[in-house]
Amino acid sequence: MLCSTSNPAQRRYMRRFLVAMLLYILFLFLAVWIFVHYRPVGPMAWILAVLPALAIIGQIAAFGLYLDEEKDEFQVAVGVQSMLWGIGGTLAVTVTWGFLENFVHLRHLDLILVYPLFCLLSGIAFGLLQLRFR
Amino acid sequence: MFCSIKSPALRRYLIRVSIMTALCFLISVVAALVFQFFLPHDPHGALAYLAAVLPALPVIGALVYTGVYLAEEKDEFQRYLLVQSLLGGTGGILAVLTAWGNMEDIANAPHLDLIYVYPLFWVFAGISYHLVKTRYR
Repeated sequence: MLCSTSNPAQRRYMRRFLVAMLLYILFLFLAVWIFVHYRPVGPMAWILAVLPALAIIGQIAAFGLYLDEEKDEFQVAVGVQSMLWGIGGTLAVTVTWGFLENFVHLRHLDLILVYPLFCLLSGIAFGLLQLRFR
Repeated sequence: MFCSIKSPALRRYLIRVSIMTALCFLISVVAALVFQFFLPHDPHGALAYLAAVLPALPVIGALVYTGVYLAEEKDEFQRYLLVQSLLGGTGGILAVLTAWGNMEDIANAPHLDLIYVYPLFWVFAGISYHLVKTRYR
């Protein structure tokens, strides 16, 4: 999979993304296992809970590095535009959900779903932009 | 206040966003009054959902106008600055939400009200704006 692209920036991004993904799975299992077996409290519990998020933050940073390293300006423009559509859509959903939570007591949106939602919306925007510029 | 801004696109954007902000406050107050006086016993009907969604519409309007400003702004450097700060804001807000989400799920951290996501995004975008601007000074 990594070797199918001849673009070095994309290859580096894929490698960093996969490493961050593996770290996420590892950290998540580790955090849940420690919570189930040792039930930590206080600052230790908070640090453990944040651990899997660090891998996700690494993924976001990897995409930022990709945008910085990518030499193909068209790919950068499409990547940036799809991220902007993605964050616009994510903010629209979260603010609407927020008002619904406050006024009609809609069930709480689990915050760990916000990042996948952003990726989904950015992915749709990416596909549409590729089609538009084809 | 707006007359001192030289870029017509930025002036239009700031006027539009100010109107959207005022509308958001006004509609929020009206929605709260509707819930207090007209829907105290039926907070889950169709009217309740409509009243709850209405204050979000000006916020979505402000997001759309940010996109319109990016399309209208002729100064490429200003456009570049805003895009960079929006990307910075995106990274910042996603990082905070993911970390907080994990703390809510695993360590029983207090629930973060989603209403704060939008202002928090602009705080991160503002910090990024100044960092990028300082870098190019």
